[in-house]
Amino acid sequence: MKNKLFEKYFVFSPYFWLVLFFFIPLAIIFKISISVSEWGMPPYQDIFLFDNGFKINTTFENYVYIFSDYYYIGSFVNSLILALISTFFCLLIGFPLAFYIATSNIRLRNILLVLVVIPFWSSFLLRVYAWKIILQNNGILNVILLNLGITSEPLQLLYNQYAVIMGIVYTYLPLMILPLYGYLNKFDLNLIEASKDLGLNRIKTFFKVILPLSIPGIVAGSLLVFIPVVGEFIIPEMLGGSDRLYYGKILWEEFFVNRNWPGASALAFSGIIILVLPIVIFQILYSRWSQKNEI
Amino acid sequence: MDNNFLVIENISKSFGDNKVLENINLNISKSEFFGLLGSSGSGKTTLLRILGGFEKPDTGRVILDGTDITNLEPFERPLNYMFQSYALFPHLNVFNNLAFGIKENFTQKEIEINVRNIAELLSIEHLLNRRIKQLSGGEQQRVALGRCLIKKPKLLLLDEPLAALDKKLRSKTQLELTTLQKKLKITFVFVTHDQEEAMSLSDRMAIMKNGLILECSSPEEIYENPKSLYTANFIGIANIIEIYKKDENFYSDDLGINFKLNKELKNTQTNILLRPEKIKIQSMNNLKTSSFNSFSGEILEKSYLGSFTRYEIKIKNMIISVLDQNFNSNSNYNFPKGEKVICSWESESIKVLED
Repeated sequence: MKNKLFEKYFVFSPYFWLVLFFFIPLAIIFKISISVSEWGMPPYQDIFLFDNGFKINTTFENYVYIFSDYYYIGSFVNSLILALISTFFCLLIGFPLAFYIATSNIRLRNILLVLVVIPFWSSFLLRVYAWKIILQNNGILNVILLNLGITSEPLQLLYNQYAVIMGIVYTYLPLMILPLYGYLNKFDLNLIEASKDLGLNRIKTFFKVILPLSIPGIVAGSLLVFIPVVGEFIIPEMLGGSDRLYYGKILWEEFFVNRNWPGASALAFSGIIILVLPIVIFQILYSRWSQKNEI
Repeated sequence: MDNNFLVIENISKSFGDNKVLENINLNISKSEFFGLLGSSGSGKTTLLRILGGFEKPDTGRVILDGTDITNLEPFERPLNYMFQSYALFPHLNVFNNLAFGIKENFTQKEIEINVRNIAELLSIEHLLNRRIKQLSGGEQQRVALGRCLIKKPKLLLLDEPLAALDKKLRSKTQLELTTLQKKLKITFVFVTHDQEEAMSLSDRMAIMKNGLILECSSPEEIYENPKSLYTANFIGIANIIEIYKKDENFYSDDLGINFKLNKELKNTQTNILLRPEKIKIQSMNNLKTSSFNSFSGEILEKSYLGSFTRYEIKIKNMIISVLDQNFNSNSNYNFPKGEKVICSWESESIKVLED
């Protein structure tokens, strides 16, 4: 009986984790987002006041403020577009790689998997910084291009949105490859041979057999890349220029430069809701669809 | 009959240092049901995969109906391959699995008609809307077969077509498969490790071992007159006895008896095959052993198999298997364990193994 009870609660331990590190912080952020700003430490007023009898001191001003200024909405849209483009390129590069790894022999497969994971062993910040050194005006890439005579003066490779996309694709690629590999690893290679045997060439086989059966892996990998990229702060900050503002950067400025905690919290809370709600709905619809199609 | 419908010419294949096929030559006729029989590692599946186009041979050619198909891709070959695992598409229902190979070149209406026809032929009309996971093994096998046959291939390759089915379903499906093949007149080449399956399905069969074809003939010929020791042992139950020339007759040291053969032998020493059902078993008190082609021994083991009883009979240094048909429904008819019996056979039943 005791064991059963233990098992029962053990199953809930991931939920416990989720509550502790997601829902409680989220609730705190929500609380701050409906507080009234003030100069002080912390820079907002309590929402429950007791000095002249009990009084609830909340406001939705912060939400009105961020939604009425295109500065905030625009940066969020920029981040969504950035995440979409980065996810697309991660998929474009990650899918063939994952497929190749999943179908190669066991020895080569293990070596390739280690190569995919190795970047995680060094600091994320260092890796992005390394790109900065590679791409800068007197960086290694420009030196090579100049010496080969391809260009006569250094190219401006850094501080634009292309550098940001490249940095994100580079950093997030393993997050795409690993879940894709997980699904493709179980892929029955006879299905590809069967498709070819039934008269479909390689391209048609890819679209009729490989792609439809890889959808769960594609969904998992894409979500794993898309969601964190929307809030990505460091890569645009280090590799990006001032031409484009992203959500993560605005959030950071609002918190630490403007010290507008309630406004920043409103921004963060809105961002999470806008991002998570469609994904939850999508997941529900998708799991229904995949159950029906038994993929 | 056109004996050159499918010609396999000097096919060799190695994977690294491992020689899988060595100089394979085979001619298969149109509408023939041809079996490739061998244990695992004999190269039979590699040969089938070369025919399907999934492996390229190192040397040699494959000619189908007068056309050299050696260098064609699988999707360019006018043949189909039925996988051991069936390889049905899990994301499509039965209808779309059947229609998979004809969707390209047919109109919706033609597809509909073709799928209905093939489903009717295989009695799977009621399954068309099912998902693959909802099918039993036997149903999956039919869908896999139908998916190939709908393309009207010149040649159908089957990799262990019955291996995934349970025993009872297997014998039923064996019969259906031969009936279907005779009806459609499509050339079937299949691979199996199961000698009973090979015997019951094949018009002709090839015995493979270590990348070589040892023998190629009808099942009857291979069972009754195997050329090699390996084949004799591989197909059915075999009593293999070493004999050598002694005076007029041949003598076996292991059994301590004389053999009389009905043909002359080149060698003075050879192995002979005596199939267990060719041996007559009689009670001791009726008869005396004759001076040749018979012995007396003691029943060591006995297993009742329904239509037959299998005895293991010990004589001198050897144990001989005997299959005795149960003519009589009286169970007392069987000889008990430990009983002394006389075994005898005709000279014609002794088969000399050349290698």
